[in-house]
Amino acid sequence: MATQQPELSSSSTTTTDPFVSISCLDFLLIELVPMAYRIAAELSAREEDWTRPIGALNTTTTTTGTSSRAQDTTSTTGGGGGGGGGDGGTAGSVAIVDDEETREAVFYRLEMLGYRVGLGITERFSRDKPRSTDALDTIKFLCKDIWLLVFRKQIDNLKTNHRGIYVLTDNAFKPLTRMSAERGQGDSMLARAQPVR
Amino acid sequence: MATRAPAVACIGIIGKQNNPLHISLFPPDHRAPLEFSFLLSSCLDIFEARLPQKTADQDFGLLQAVDERLAMYGWLTNTGVKFVIVVDLEGRPATSSDSRSVIAAGLRDADLKPAFRALQSAYIGLLRNPFYDPDEHSPLTANAEQRAGSTQITSKRFINEVKRIGEAWAPGLQSL
Repeated sequence: MATQQPELSSSSTTTTDPFVSISCLDFLLIELVPMAYRIAAELSAREEDWTRPIGALNTTTTTTGTSSRAQDTTSTTGGGGGGGGGDGGTAGSVAIVDDEETREAVFYRLEMLGYRVGLGITERFSRDKPRSTDALDTIKFLCKDIWLLVFRKQIDNLKTNHRGIYVLTDNAFKPLTRMSAERGQGDSMLARAQPVR
Repeated sequence: MATRAPAVACIGIIGKQNNPLHISLFPPDHRAPLEFSFLLSSCLDIFEARLPQKTADQDFGLLQAVDERLAMYGWLTNTGVKFVIVVDLEGRPATSSDSRSVIAAGLRDADLKPAFRALQSAYIGLLRNPFYDPDEHSPLTANAEQRAGSTQITSKRFINEVKRIGEAWAPGLQSL
């Protein structure tokens, strides 16, 4: 494997000679959020599988009726539904109930992915940079170095109120350039995206 | 007494929360792990004290001279990971390749730079390992999830690379 890492020598920052096609990054970004949703849903379903059997048992014991056989079958399908896909009705209701929770889980998952990637990139590409001592240094590193690495351009505009809020403007943000907008809506959207003066 | 030449006695990798990530001893059988663990802990304050003045470089140079033989050198990466190398000035018998001047005049900070650079490359390589999860080695998450056991680095390749650097280093080497 050691022979496969020539790019680790700090001389080749490879901004002009990328190893990854831009299309790969596009496709990865498209797939990233749905994947996070799938994983979060799967994990919550699995968690439900762990916690549900006790509840399912309780209901069957309390409703001691004549149609116990029918009750049994429905409860087992309900209990095993999470793992095996389940029927549409239960899955739909679960999704609505856990909507907020799932969103939180998805955001957390995406944030952790971003943190992991950022940590690796920073360690790799700031090795010859002076250590940043305040937030502005970090923001500058983001605007100049990271943007140049990822998008081959620098941030177009950086505004700050010097109290911890930084507004970075990129006039041609690459992940959005392929996105379609409603006819005639593009300009008004752009206007709405501007920071309030 | 035969002349002796400087050699690495210990390499310590210390995480952002001042948690030990990895400690290698050279030679492993002849060094007391506890003693070097104490030494590594003692240098954390020096990092802390120098942080405000030290802005330009990641190289902290000589941290402290422990006694006539041991000296500690430090390096702090931009993500808060610390590398510490303890040099034993009489760590190995001098060979013909060792220049007299190094033995007589002692070490310069620049002598350690190649070793630190090699360590940083190794650490970057470790971060590029998809099976290495930096969070798993942070005491914060370990405590939060009440996980038992060590939070040290277990990657064999990284440990071997650290071992190689420690054994190969000698004053005056340009690259490792």
